[in-house]
Amino acid sequence: MRRGLVVSLVAILVVAFGSLGATALAGNAPQLGLDLQGGASVVLRPKNQVSQGVLNQSIEIIRNRVDALGVAEPDISRQGSNIIVQLPGVKDQERALDIVGQTAELRIRPVLAPVPISETETPPTTTTTVPPTTTTVAGAPPSSAPPETTPTTIAPPVEAGGAVKTTTREEDLPDQEVVLPEIDGGEVIARYRLGPSELTGKAFRSARAEFDQSQGWLINFSLTGDGAKSFGDLTTKYQGQQVAIVLDGVVRSALNINEPITEGTGQITGRFSQGEARDLALVIRFGALPVELAPETVQTVSASLGKDSLRAGVIAGVVGLGLVLLYMVVYYRALGLVVLLGLSVWASLMWVIVSFLGETRGLALSLAGAVGIIISVGVTVDSYVVYFERLKDEIRAGKSIRASVDRSFSRAFRTILTANFSAFMGAALLYWLTVGSVRGFAFFLGLSTMLDVVVSYFFTRPLVIMLGRNRIFTEARWLGVARGLAAPGAGVGARPVGPAAQ
Amino acid sequence: MSAEKRSIWQRLYNGETSFDFLSRRRLWLCLSAGVILVGMASLGLRGLNFGIDFRGGAAWEVEAPGVSVGDARDALTPLGLDDAKIQILGGDTLRVQADPEDRSRRDEVSATLAELAGAPVGQVSVNDVGPSWGDEITEKARNALVVFLVAITLYITLRFEWKMALATLAALVHDILVTVGVYSLSGFEVTPATVIAGLTILGYSIYDGIVVFDKIDENTKGLAASGRLTYGGMVNLSLNQVLMRTLNTSVTALLPILSLLIVGGQILGAVTLQDFALALLVGLAASAYSSIFIASPLLALLKEREPRYATIKQRIQAKGTSGPLTPAAAAAGGFGATGPAGGGEPNRGTTATKTTPPARPTANRPPPRPRKKGKRR
Repeated sequence: MRRGLVVSLVAILVVAFGSLGATALAGNAPQLGLDLQGGASVVLRPKNQVSQGVLNQSIEIIRNRVDALGVAEPDISRQGSNIIVQLPGVKDQERALDIVGQTAELRIRPVLAPVPISETETPPTTTTTVPPTTTTVAGAPPSSAPPETTPTTIAPPVEAGGAVKTTTREEDLPDQEVVLPEIDGGEVIARYRLGPSELTGKAFRSARAEFDQSQGWLINFSLTGDGAKSFGDLTTKYQGQQVAIVLDGVVRSALNINEPITEGTGQITGRFSQGEARDLALVIRFGALPVELAPETVQTVSASLGKDSLRAGVIAGVVGLGLVLLYMVVYYRALGLVVLLGLSVWASLMWVIVSFLGETRGLALSLAGAVGIIISVGVTVDSYVVYFERLKDEIRAGKSIRASVDRSFSRAFRTILTANFSAFMGAALLYWLTVGSVRGFAFFLGLSTMLDVVVSYFFTRPLVIMLGRNRIFTEARWLGVARGLAAPGAGVGARPVGPAAQ
Repeated sequence: MSAEKRSIWQRLYNGETSFDFLSRRRLWLCLSAGVILVGMASLGLRGLNFGIDFRGGAAWEVEAPGVSVGDARDALTPLGLDDAKIQILGGDTLRVQADPEDRSRRDEVSATLAELAGAPVGQVSVNDVGPSWGDEITEKARNALVVFLVAITLYITLRFEWKMALATLAALVHDILVTVGVYSLSGFEVTPATVIAGLTILGYSIYDGIVVFDKIDENTKGLAASGRLTYGGMVNLSLNQVLMRTLNTSVTALLPILSLLIVGGQILGAVTLQDFALALLVGLAASAYSSIFIASPLLALLKEREPRYATIKQRIQAKGTSGPLTPAAAAAGGFGATGPAGGGEPNRGTTATKTTPPARPTANRPPPRPRKKGKRR
């Protein structure tokens, strides 16, 4: 029993302060939310009803845009039918929000020539590297589909030395000649010089990935009435050449036009995997249904305001905590010091977990979250109060301190568990059911409730039980536990008194 | 231990109080009903002062030392923001709040304010909210609240019993109505921070209630089973037993909140902190009150209708008035915390507690409630 207590106490101290040391050594610290470090956040809502797939596609597009901006820890997530973009620490907030909020448009551009991937790389020696082998064929029943891609022979890059820059987003205008990349897995796998846009995604009615026995995964698409005519013209004009499907400044696929498609339906074949086919179908469908995102809320916080809020929160928290501890020590004496130690274990675990989650999961500590933590100090201290008041009850009933510490813990712990469970349940529900800052708040409140239970059991219990067995602590004049616990006269607490001790 | 000489604080500290929380329960309930009624009347007449996160609109904030409200108004009038609300916060932070129609001029206003403050545009913080955003968060918060109440009711029903769940629910509704009423009466702005704080208060309120009910639950198996106390008397005893804990918890919860309100909000000028703290303060007061004066009396009211407790009450009343028992006396008598259930130790009560007559009509004694397995050690 006694040994178990020591082990528990040592273990939690090692875990708490060891991990705190490790966190400090690794240079990790809680990630600050944008209201504490400055930044921009926008909630975007589609103007019309869209499917989840389309929404996810939009998120991917926004993510690409944000990555291009070079924001350190962007957080782009979907909540309900809204997209929430958080850009902490972003410098040029207005521009960032403008770029994020742009509507993406699917464009079909003729491929003029492939361009070497990067100017630093040596240009390809030959022109045989024709990117993803995709083919369009006419006619919905694709029985007569030509096999495979026809390796096209396109002239080598126009500029010698390959000093061709990829067109920036601002310059990616429909009526301009542009150079755009094709990206796979975050890497540029090809670049193309493309002519002005000939058609937008509005021409498409639908697109679906399907499996064909002879050709594997392919995409069947259909066109709108106007779209069919334009697409017919386009495919007639560029028969035997390549056109590129471009979405948001990225070439999604370069297609060889094998024959004119005038029927309003067509097919894209190639060596697609199922995923690739699905993605491409989605891109085309997405283009068919342009998602216009309207900013629902826009919030920018200047770095200095964020710093002020952080400072105010920290100072208010420290002052509040100091007052609580002072009160505890005055009221419970030595046991008040237990609260002090317990809270430092709690705080150190909190710091470690928040830092860890910030590092690995991008969890950001917002102002609401910080308030949640400050508030939960109250709930945490309450656990000590419940226990110590229980202890007073027992001692008043004539038990010795030694006998009481253990018994009252098991009883008080039930109360603590019940109460903390309900508090945790509340926090969890808030987290699942709400949006925005309420979630951050609920997360930290729930986390601190859990930590409270852990600290109560593994730290407070063994420490108080051991203190209760130590004469120095129970009898000391000023810090004596007995005094703090209102035992009948300091000192007598160490021996059992009263008739009720069984 | 002569209690007469002790101050109320010493009595509190030593668990020798015997406040009668229940005898005036009609008064407490009427008091609350009155406060709620006034609040609801105000809600109907004036409604709530919703912040821009609910109504839609835009707010700008920039550090502008030496710029007065008048300067800001002069600069903004050409932009058509005549109705904008302009404040100076925490000394030198200029805050401008405008209606949803002015959202389109967001960037212009930012530029104007930056010029006024002599700072780059990046130093202007903007919060721009569309008109339907508020509906969405309101709806979400309402759903969360309903699910939360249902879940808590279920949990308390399972953990204790449905009457306690009902009493808790009543206390929660009381807290919500009082807080809303105070916000309507005072015209404090309702922001998302307020909503968060309100939801926290519910957590506190339940937490408080559960600590009291846990004690009642425990006492039910000890004292009440002996037939010496009415259920109401037992609830009263339990309240006195946890009184010090309630006070301590309220103090420890209040200190950080006051610190947020005064240090964070007033001295350092962080508006959000102030929003949080204000709602917390109002709600905390309501919940501390309701756990003692609403939930517990209501529980006693409900329970004393049960035949078992009704007979005890009748019998005790027939013998004369039963004064409230002090926790210390109950503990000395071997009740409460862990003592044996039926110990006949004479009461060392500090008030004129009517102690049990030695000859108890054991025949009339109701059978003790069956104990649940593993409930006590």
